[in-house]
Amino acid sequence: MKLSFKKNKVWVGIIIIILIFILLNLFQSQVKGFFYSFSVPIQKPLWRAGENISDFLFSVFTIGKLRNQAEELEFKNQDLIYQISLLSELKEENIILRQALDLELEKEFRLEMAQIIGKDISQEFILINKGAEQGILKDMPVITEQKVLIGRVKEIYNDFSKVMLIFHKESSFDAKIQREEEKDVSGIVKGTGSQGLTLDLIKDEVFEQDIVLTSALGNIFPEGLLVGRIRAIKKSDVETFQQAEIDPAFNISNTNKVFIILEF
Amino acid sequence: MIKKLIISIVIIYFLALVQTSFMVHFSFWGMVPNVFLLFIIIWNVIEKPENSLGLYNAILAGFFSDIFSTRFIGFNVLIFLAIAIILKFLFKRYVRIPFIKEA
Repeated sequence: MKLSFKKNKVWVGIIIIILIFILLNLFQSQVKGFFYSFSVPIQKPLWRAGENISDFLFSVFTIGKLRNQAEELEFKNQDLIYQISLLSELKEENIILRQALDLELEKEFRLEMAQIIGKDISQEFILINKGAEQGILKDMPVITEQKVLIGRVKEIYNDFSKVMLIFHKESSFDAKIQREEEKDVSGIVKGTGSQGLTLDLIKDEVFEQDIVLTSALGNIFPEGLLVGRIRAIKKSDVETFQQAEIDPAFNISNTNKVFIILEF
Repeated sequence: MIKKLIISIVIIYFLALVQTSFMVHFSFWGMVPNVFLLFIIIWNVIEKPENSLGLYNAILAGFFSDIFSTRFIGFNVLIFLAIAIILKFLFKRYVRIPFIKEA
């Protein structure tokens, strides 16, 4: 009798725990929002401290590599200065032509700035300090200052949102590689997890170091956002389409502020 | 026990903040060290197999890592609890660490 009472007590305990977890999941956004609201003041300085320490350690361990990179960048810089001078001439010409054709300038995006305050353990989600109250909606694109695509809003709380990074396995969108004289090369960028990206379903030839941009197809992201550069091409004689690995254009650990595109 | 649990809640909550905002900057070959996992393993290895605080800590660590992740609440609780139970079982049955027994 005593034993069955003890056994019943254990079962009641288990059932209560299961019920608590069901309730927690039913009110998941409120529960998580509650914890995020008082964690932010501690998370902000922690994020900054982590960023500073990792930057310091990185520079200590890679000083030799950095020296070579500096030399390379100086060389590239000279090349870019030359290109800028060419482009500024083209810009002036463009302004004159626009005025002549009476075209409206392209509508800029309506943006909302947000700060990153945390990253998911899975490494493929970030937490930002803007949410439903600031007009953030699900699936809005998130970019950096340099118009580099980071991901899109996946979960929204009152003052916070979770952004699914483009590395996530569920992330896929249309992209293109611009060609000056030929037709643009189109493909689909897919996240592979572990901070990896691939460009899939490529029909035409692509080369290493080609720049991958978002395309307006599918209407998920605005056109022309930078995704990354082609790192390696996987060629197969059997497959109709080619695949390529992409080096993403951003490093989330070095990013503090992001922009959410409210309208495009 | 309640006092110990409250201290555990504070420590594990702080670990959650460290994991999501600090440790994410230190990735090695694309992987970030999981402080929760380290905490659970170390605690359950050091603790006497008869004590149960290690199991409660596993539940708390799972709960806080679920709060700061996108998965349903309970996912990491199950994983961490399973790890703690396995460690407890192994250390009770097969492993004897002399200095822990003396303590």
